[in-house]
Amino acid sequence: MLYVEHIWVHDMDLLLQRVFDAVTNGSTYALIAVAMVLIFKATTLINFAQGEQAMLGAFVVLQLWDWGVPMWGAVAIGMCFSGVLAAFLERALIRKFDPADHLPLVIITLGLFLVINAVAAIIWRFDPKSFPELFPSGNAFAINNIRLSWYTIFAFTSCVIVLFVLQTLLSKTKIGLAFRAVSSNIESSRLSGIKIGTTLQFGWALAAAAGTLGASIYAANPVLQIEPSMMLRALILSVTAAALGGLDSLWGALIGGLTIGFVQSVVVQYIPFIPNEMSLSAAVIVLLIVLIFRPSGVLGTRAVERV
Amino acid sequence: MAAKIHIQEGTATYRKYRIAMWTCFIISLLLVAFAYVDVGTISIGSNKYNLSLIRLDKAIAFTIAILGLQVVVGYTGQIALGQSFFFGTGAYLSAWLVADHSWPFLMTLLVVIPSCFLIGMILGLPALRIRGLYLALLTFGLAAVFPSIVKLDKLYTYTGGAGGKLTSNYKFVAPSWLPFDKVAEGLQKIPFLGGFFGDGPLSDREESRMWKFILFSIIAAICFWLVSNLIQSRPGRAMRAVRDNETSAATSGINLAATKTLSFGVASALGGVGGVIYVAEIGIASPDDFSSLLAIYLIVGLVVGGVGTLSGALIGGLVYALIPDWASSTQSISFLPQRWLQGPTGSLILGLLLIVLTLFLPGGIVAGWRKVKKRFLQIDSATF
Repeated sequence: MLYVEHIWVHDMDLLLQRVFDAVTNGSTYALIAVAMVLIFKATTLINFAQGEQAMLGAFVVLQLWDWGVPMWGAVAIGMCFSGVLAAFLERALIRKFDPADHLPLVIITLGLFLVINAVAAIIWRFDPKSFPELFPSGNAFAINNIRLSWYTIFAFTSCVIVLFVLQTLLSKTKIGLAFRAVSSNIESSRLSGIKIGTTLQFGWALAAAAGTLGASIYAANPVLQIEPSMMLRALILSVTAAALGGLDSLWGALIGGLTIGFVQSVVVQYIPFIPNEMSLSAAVIVLLIVLIFRPSGVLGTRAVERV
Repeated sequence: MAAKIHIQEGTATYRKYRIAMWTCFIISLLLVAFAYVDVGTISIGSNKYNLSLIRLDKAIAFTIAILGLQVVVGYTGQIALGQSFFFGTGAYLSAWLVADHSWPFLMTLLVVIPSCFLIGMILGLPALRIRGLYLALLTFGLAAVFPSIVKLDKLYTYTGGAGGKLTSNYKFVAPSWLPFDKVAEGLQKIPFLGGFFGDGPLSDREESRMWKFILFSIIAAICFWLVSNLIQSRPGRAMRAVRDNETSAATSGINLAATKTLSFGVASALGGVGGVIYVAEIGIASPDDFSSLLAIYLIVGLVVGGVGTLSGALIGGLVYALIPDWASSTQSISFLPQRWLQGPTGSLILGLLLIVLTLFLPGGIVAGWRKVKKRFLQIDSATF
């Protein structure tokens, strides 16, 4: 999605530039994908409204910033807001359904998708708005025509930091332990006294907060603007990233995100018979191939079916 | 509580009841058609709601697409969200044949049905390995890429690119032997209510609109008839067995692959038929009409009517064709600020409907209606 103007560049420069674009896009997809992975780990559910929740969070951040809250403070409050909202949604809409019965859950998240999208459009209107810059602007270095912008560096770094924080949270804290127990076996964790509901709510809140950060970073891209429909494309790309990495693996989400970014910004550009606009289709084809040949993704745990 | 009436299935009374119900349905359909053949509006307060035949024709198109979803989601239990893909395929195929090869619209069905059936079967093949949520994901992706496929530069001559494909060269002309004018005059003579049916004979425009409505209704009726036969036949029972438990279905000798592929094919063909009717009504196939939002809206139609009920498809089609339109024509409600009435209120209402119905009335409107009906009328199933 990042189209940098090239006047004339050497092939190698062009390749490198495209790799940087891939990293930029890939990191933002990875952040949304991480949110999906968290929810999938907890409830084996794919939340189709994840992108919209993140978009709503990013709009809240923008609104707070408009009111004069400092940028990173606004992001923090926005993350808390969407975390609380997600915990509420989990309690009100998701918990009463049997996690093994997928259809009602898919329908509920599709309903959320429509509602959140409509509410955001009613409050903030459809016209794109520019999002404040989260990171220093300009390039970290520029040799010839290769430009590595600070945005790329920071987007990637924040993605890695988020993953480290989440991993520490899940492996070192008590609630993280509970979360892992629930995601591995709900029945046994209930028997050992873990409060399932609270743990799932925690998972939803964490996912929504990560998603909001992702959407804020995504919207802070100097070439993009924030609008209610901005997550439609990103949703498909992030879902593909999540599936590619293995739907239950945090680091898989990063690998998946970078791969999708790479396919989109590098591979598609070098295959002559695939036009540029087909990057979304390319992602769907990647998704198809992954699901057919390796449904558990690159780093995911394989499902074992007992008969 | 009113006394309950019992009717035994298979008796003469039951037959009479069925015939009476169907006659009422068809007569009311014709009455609505004649009442709203001119641009018809209902006024509530200061808001005007459109109920023209154009809306109803769209509703028929969505109904047929949702009928397809009933087959694959409702009866076979595969979470396939990509119906808009086939709806769009049918629409574009038909638009191309009509605009560039001057086929009549209904003839294009002969091409659209088999090709959508085939495409559906082919795209359904991965579904033999991919299940549940993963299938939902993949089919949603399929729905999302459709607009970018038809916008491709290489397909410009076939699809008309981002501007869409116009089919205004074909007009539906009502055959002269149909007594539209006489019926209209007859209805206008009804005391008190005659005013609802307009003035004088129908104009050419109105006649063509009426003709379209009748044609589309007949196509829809044929689709309903075929699907209901399919559901009750051996492959239909196999589909329901697959939905209820794949493993036990397989152990009872059901060919899972064949059953799933068939249901995908049938669903896609129905989606294609819906697309043909849609483009025949609108007169243009434009890429963004067939986005992933349409896919979600068709799912709304499926759920609102009732998953796994055929009549639910009709309700779903009406809901999707009318509610967003009515929501956007609501300009003022006294207790709501003006601001909340501008913007995508229709999509908000549909989303809320989706959530509320799934939470409180999982069987959709049809299930609610059946519950109410059961209080007054019990149809006892035939015992053999």
